[in-house]
Amino acid sequence: MEPLLDVKNLSVKFGDVSVLENVNFSLDKGDILTIIGPNGAGKTVLIKSILGLVEHKGEVNFLGDSIMKRIDEIGYVPQRLDFDRTFPITAKELMDLVLKKSDIKNMEIVCNHLEIDKLLSKKIGTLSGGQLQRVLIARAVAGSPKLLIMDEPTAGVDIGGVRSFYDIVGHLNKEHGITIILISHEINMVYSLASKVLCLNKKMICVGNPKEAISRNILDKLYGGSVEPREHTHL
Amino acid sequence: MENIINLISYPFVLRAIFAGIVTAALLAFLGVFVVLRKMSFYSDGIAHASLAGVAAGILLSSQPLLWAMIVGVIFAILVFWLEKKTTVSVDAIIGVLFTASLALGVVLINLKSGYQPDLISFLFGNILTIQYSDIWLILIVALITGIFMIVKYKQYLLLSLNKDLAYLSGINLSLYELLFYIALSVSVILGIKIVGVVLVSALVIVPVSSAKLFSSSAKSLAIWSVILSEISMLLGIFLSLAFNLPTGATIVLTEAFIFFVLVLAPAKS
Repeated sequence: MEPLLDVKNLSVKFGDVSVLENVNFSLDKGDILTIIGPNGAGKTVLIKSILGLVEHKGEVNFLGDSIMKRIDEIGYVPQRLDFDRTFPITAKELMDLVLKKSDIKNMEIVCNHLEIDKLLSKKIGTLSGGQLQRVLIARAVAGSPKLLIMDEPTAGVDIGGVRSFYDIVGHLNKEHGITIILISHEINMVYSLASKVLCLNKKMICVGNPKEAISRNILDKLYGGSVEPREHTHL
Repeated sequence: MENIINLISYPFVLRAIFAGIVTAALLAFLGVFVVLRKMSFYSDGIAHASLAGVAAGILLSSQPLLWAMIVGVIFAILVFWLEKKTTVSVDAIIGVLFTASLALGVVLINLKSGYQPDLISFLFGNILTIQYSDIWLILIVALITGIFMIVKYKQYLLLSLNKDLAYLSGINLSLYELLFYIALSVSVILGIKIVGVVLVSALVIVPVSSAKLFSSSAKSLAIWSVILSEISMLLGIFLSLAFNLPTGATIVLTEAFIFFVLVLAPAKS
């Protein structure tokens, strides 16, 4: 079966500095891939390269096509939305921007499910990190993407918010069949949620099923012995 | 008051009011994206750069506004190209281009001997000298630019908010950037006959800045920017006629007055 996403020999250089070297992995429909690695490992660069936001070498194919041809089938939630917080735009307006008419009905269902109905009339500059994150997820999901990519979606979200976020991720994957890539620092979550893990520290250190791919040795290579793997099952 | 009512019946005053209304709406609407993208210096730069076109028009005894637009389009393309081609920041590129174009204008105008009343009216604006040919030019350019920006409103709003999201929504960033630069250039130049090269960027920046003080959404920002711009334009024209003041400067002072009133107004709880 053709993979949903196929990344081959992906490398990125900023000037003479190598940021990513020969990353290879593929995803099947319904996978949840978690990318882990220390700060500066190139996780965000990898995601942005896949999306075509960063110049790179190598191939990225989505359903057999160049990813740019099917970019509207991908939802993206950035780590931090870089915008002017005084920009007077409401969450509803942000949701509406360039959404196809067919997505509007979808949007109402998504907003209801993510419990952001009450936030829609507020300016996005006044929302908390977690609230804005949910609006961005709703926006990304309203377009019925086949692949949803999220860059550290729980950064700046409180503990309750993190738990409800992972519930949402599980729901989107299981009930709607959306394939998901997410960057996370929460290694313990990887075991309970992800079907695949990619360990990155400029080079690809591991890829595969979390229980098989993550070992003490791999974590030492990634984090230098400061992290203990613990399998959580309650998430 | 009776005198003002009488004045309105004069064709040159009617032309002034018509040109003012159309330009005020167009520049305020474009100003929404200029202010949100922090591009105020671009509108100032384009206005000054257009002086080379004005000078060429005067020298060739051709329509200066049309020549200024040609210079404006060249300016837009050059800014866009240099931004992609070099590592120089965009404000520095604008600085280089507008001073060079301004200097070229000074050299060109120096080739024509004698006092140049036309030049003074383009520098400080004289809405009352607007001809029917200017009206047609303003109307055609405003219609094309205005309709384009209204149709592409959502795309430009997203582009102003975040380039990555815009790109991932399938927006061709380079094409949209270039078209915006050109649309802004020709629109700003429409305003130089009204308020002059020196003051025209106020029509782009001030009404939006005023509306931004109290707007609760992007839609209300766009609507209030246009409303405040029209109020300032009409009030400015009538005040200048009533007190025999320079029209362009009076319009800009009216805009600035409204801005400060809104700044000092008690905030809504």
